[in-house]
Amino acid sequence: MLSALIWIPVIGGIIIGFLPNQLAEKSRSLALVIGSIILAFTLAIGLQFDPNQSGLFLSESFSWLDQLGLTYYLGVDGLALPLIFINSFLTLIAIYTSSTKLARPRFYYALLLFLSAGTAGAFLAQNVLLFFLFYEVELIPLYFLIAIWGGTNRGYAATKFLLYTAISGALVLASFLGIVWLTGASSFDYDVLRSQVLPLSSQIILLLILLAGFAIKIPFFPFHTWLPDAHVEASTPISVLLAGVLLKLGTYGLLRFGIGLFPDAWNLLAPYLAIWAAVSALFGALAAIAQKDMKRVVAYSSIAHMAYILLAAAAATPLSLTAAVAQMISHGLISALLFLLVGVVGKKTGTRDVDTLRGLLNPERGLPIIGSLLILGVMASAGIPGMAGFISEFIVFRGSFSVFPIATLLCLVGTGLTAVYFLLMINRVFFGRLPLAFSNLPAVPWSDHVPAIVLAILIVTLGLQPNWLVRWSETQTASLSNFDTETLAEVRPASRSLLQPGQSIKESQWWRSL
Amino acid sequence: MEFASNFSDQLNVGLILPEGIVVATLLAVLIGDLILGRRAARGLPYIAIAGLLLSIVSLYFYWDAENPTALLGSFSGDDLSIIFRGVIALSTAVTILMSIRYVEQTGGALSEFIAIMLTATLGGMFLAGANELVMIFVALETLSISSYLMTGYMKRDSRSNEAALKYLLIGAASSAVFLYGSSLLYGLSGGKTILPEIAQGLAQVEGGELASAIALVFMIAGIAFKISAVPFHQWTPDVYEGSPTPVVAFLSVGSKAAGFALAIRLLVVAFPLEQPQWRLIFTALAILSMILGNAVALAQTSMKRLLAYSSIGQAGFVMIGMVAATQAGYASMIFYLLVYLFMNLGAFTGLILFSLRTGTDQITEYAGLYQKDPLLTLGLSICLLSLGGIPPLAGFFGKIYLFWAGWQAGLYGLVILGLVASVVSIYYYIRVVKMMVVKEPQEMSDTVRNYPAVRWNLPGMRPLQVGLVFSLVVTSLAGILSNPLFTLANTSIENTEALKSASTFLEETTAQNKEVSLADPMAPAIVEK
Repeated sequence: MLSALIWIPVIGGIIIGFLPNQLAEKSRSLALVIGSIILAFTLAIGLQFDPNQSGLFLSESFSWLDQLGLTYYLGVDGLALPLIFINSFLTLIAIYTSSTKLARPRFYYALLLFLSAGTAGAFLAQNVLLFFLFYEVELIPLYFLIAIWGGTNRGYAATKFLLYTAISGALVLASFLGIVWLTGASSFDYDVLRSQVLPLSSQIILLLILLAGFAIKIPFFPFHTWLPDAHVEASTPISVLLAGVLLKLGTYGLLRFGIGLFPDAWNLLAPYLAIWAAVSALFGALAAIAQKDMKRVVAYSSIAHMAYILLAAAAATPLSLTAAVAQMISHGLISALLFLLVGVVGKKTGTRDVDTLRGLLNPERGLPIIGSLLILGVMASAGIPGMAGFISEFIVFRGSFSVFPIATLLCLVGTGLTAVYFLLMINRVFFGRLPLAFSNLPAVPWSDHVPAIVLAILIVTLGLQPNWLVRWSETQTASLSNFDTETLAEVRPASRSLLQPGQSIKESQWWRSL
Repeated sequence: MEFASNFSDQLNVGLILPEGIVVATLLAVLIGDLILGRRAARGLPYIAIAGLLLSIVSLYFYWDAENPTALLGSFSGDDLSIIFRGVIALSTAVTILMSIRYVEQTGGALSEFIAIMLTATLGGMFLAGANELVMIFVALETLSISSYLMTGYMKRDSRSNEAALKYLLIGAASSAVFLYGSSLLYGLSGGKTILPEIAQGLAQVEGGELASAIALVFMIAGIAFKISAVPFHQWTPDVYEGSPTPVVAFLSVGSKAAGFALAIRLLVVAFPLEQPQWRLIFTALAILSMILGNAVALAQTSMKRLLAYSSIGQAGFVMIGMVAATQAGYASMIFYLLVYLFMNLGAFTGLILFSLRTGTDQITEYAGLYQKDPLLTLGLSICLLSLGGIPPLAGFFGKIYLFWAGWQAGLYGLVILGLVASVVSIYYYIRVVKMMVVKEPQEMSDTVRNYPAVRWNLPGMRPLQVGLVFSLVVTSLAGILSNPLFTLANTSIENTEALKSASTFLEETTAQNKEVSLADPMAPAIVEK
């Protein structure tokens, strides 16, 4: 069942890749069919999920390479399920929004499906080496997707992306090798590793390596420089996937492996992580204000919004961890919507320059529906109540404030700045008088509206019915944050020195006295 | 008669049947060429390939042989040698596939070329099992001299001549250094030539540390030349650039595998007590090879030179297994060499195909190739990405095995350097892939624009196609299905008596030394040793 999420797109991709020349036109429809099948499968898996239970509710395990400790062990729990859903959903949207007049369609759709398979595999993997394998698998398809179908400077952006992500992968691998070797575990299986106890000092070193690896992927300031380039050069569907799903691999890794494998070190480093989150959020927001390219604005806002996840993860209260997952979902949907609409604006007007565009909201000759949807997306991103962004950001701050008040307040300022840069953008691009140059815009066909409308409906629904957003992961993340009951029941020898006798580690959060 | 049967037991000639088959094939090719002339030359390469495959099949029957020593102890047919002999024979078989068209198009005599290549293979196979200094040297020279001949095979091409001369001079010098090291070893061990006896002889010598260290360094220098480890690599780029491409393929795979086989056997069996020293030397070689090989490859504009430097870097990765000096380390070396065989030969097949069709091997000339030759693009891309260690291709798993073995042996620095080096290597491999796959039709190079129609039915093209597809399939699948292959590599190390007895010998001697030091507190020197 779970393997189907990986193997259907792989096999579909291979079939599409080897379609004969006459059938090349059909590759899009075929990809759509495969995408729908994957989404249907995801929904079927979701139906079996009981939100009250933590732990894996579906799993598959085969031995693979025993000498390496690499097993083909897939599983899905409340943390992975929403992300898998987002992946399948956005893959379908990306296929749908891809231009019908693409060059080399077979190669394109095959790569898109490989990308989806790799991402699903990474979310499903319950063996850290398997996770690493899938984490690296998506590298080459994405590289080609940017390098072949991207903008003018695509070669540079694609290579930059490739090298940054390859370094990220190397760091993650080093950390995984380190934990297995230091604990002397017999395999790379996640649950085996989770039951191991490491001395605090080695936990800290390994966690720092892991953090650096994922920080490149997410990305956090100062490792973010590849992201704006990649977004600007990538075509719209690829930007949607990159912001909506691929960046989540990093934050998923933080939650699953950072907190899951190194709980003590995470606890110790948490205050610094919170400060880092605040810096990254403020940097992203301020940088977004200065941007002239609409896509760059959205890209920098993405950096700012991903930082909230780090803040929530650092606080590591049950509420804030649920919030982290909720923020991943809502950011996935919102940034996908924003990139879609910015892509339409860019396609219709031929530019994404904030200084040139004016008055596009003009109801007769402009792009009124696109404009309205974009305003909705921007409102969601800025955390206006009634939309998914509000819910997730609110619980992020609500969950983290008690632990890191200052960092949370700084992040709140970042949210305020979201309104600033997006309103600046909206104000310039959509209001005012439509200049003559843009007065004869081609009509936007309905097919361009559909995905954006679907996303918008989803964003509003989740905003009005927040339970659907957080219910998935609540139980699972609660068990993840349970340092005191589970993992520290046998108080670790190394971390004992930090604790007063009889005190749980939650109470010992030393920075609280500051 | 007892003496005779005992003697034939010791001789145990049956063990070298696989080599015997290669010799028979070699003779068949030579005589067939003489008698039947040009007419029959078409079929000779296939006879050679059939002979090599037969030899590989016969190797299978000696797996776990009861008495793995032959020729009075100078040749060892243990599982370690079997797997290396298989790798060498297989690499020659694939190389012959790619050389048929190449040699014909460049106007050489094919059957002579194949005869020389089979001789080199014979040398390599004997080297993989050689257990005695004279045997090692003879096998090494058989391999080397035939390699010199092959590099100069395009005698009208001045670059080929230059390559042959350079290779000959540097090769002869390194052989001499190796021979000098052997002579020191012979003297130090009290006149022993068989490797395990040398180890015992060395252990009994007192005060010979300096001399044995010199012998060790000299012999490693000779090996490092064969596996083109930095700083003994200077010949590589020039020789690779000038020689016929199939020869380069053989040098970078078959000849290297033979070098690694020699390295494992010689160092582990003859120098068990000097393990810290040779591990140190190999650490240095590995570091330098990984850094220099990968860094210089970044700047190359010719595909052949790119592969030359990349093969230096790849040898650096393999040496991590050598430095680990554990069973897992050797096993992952063997596994990596196995997959390296396919991915590197696949890359060379692609390179030969391209240069046969266009007459150039500049990387920029590959621009837009996907339009004209999808199969070549696919094969070459997959092989290059696999060399760069991209999952789920074979090279990724090979590297993971190596890095994991190194990490388990505590070589953090080396493994991290290896990780960094593979990131760097992705950059230059992807550059070529980008040229072929990413470039738009309007950015196509003139060469590709005038690319001849792809015709596989020309004489000699079919084998190239077979070689390419075969490498492509193995490179794609060998990693995912690596369990049997790695188990094979692991068992070969496990079942090899020589490695086991060497490690027990090391333990015993250290234990003895400890006893000595406990009994005599005035003997700290031995403890240090």
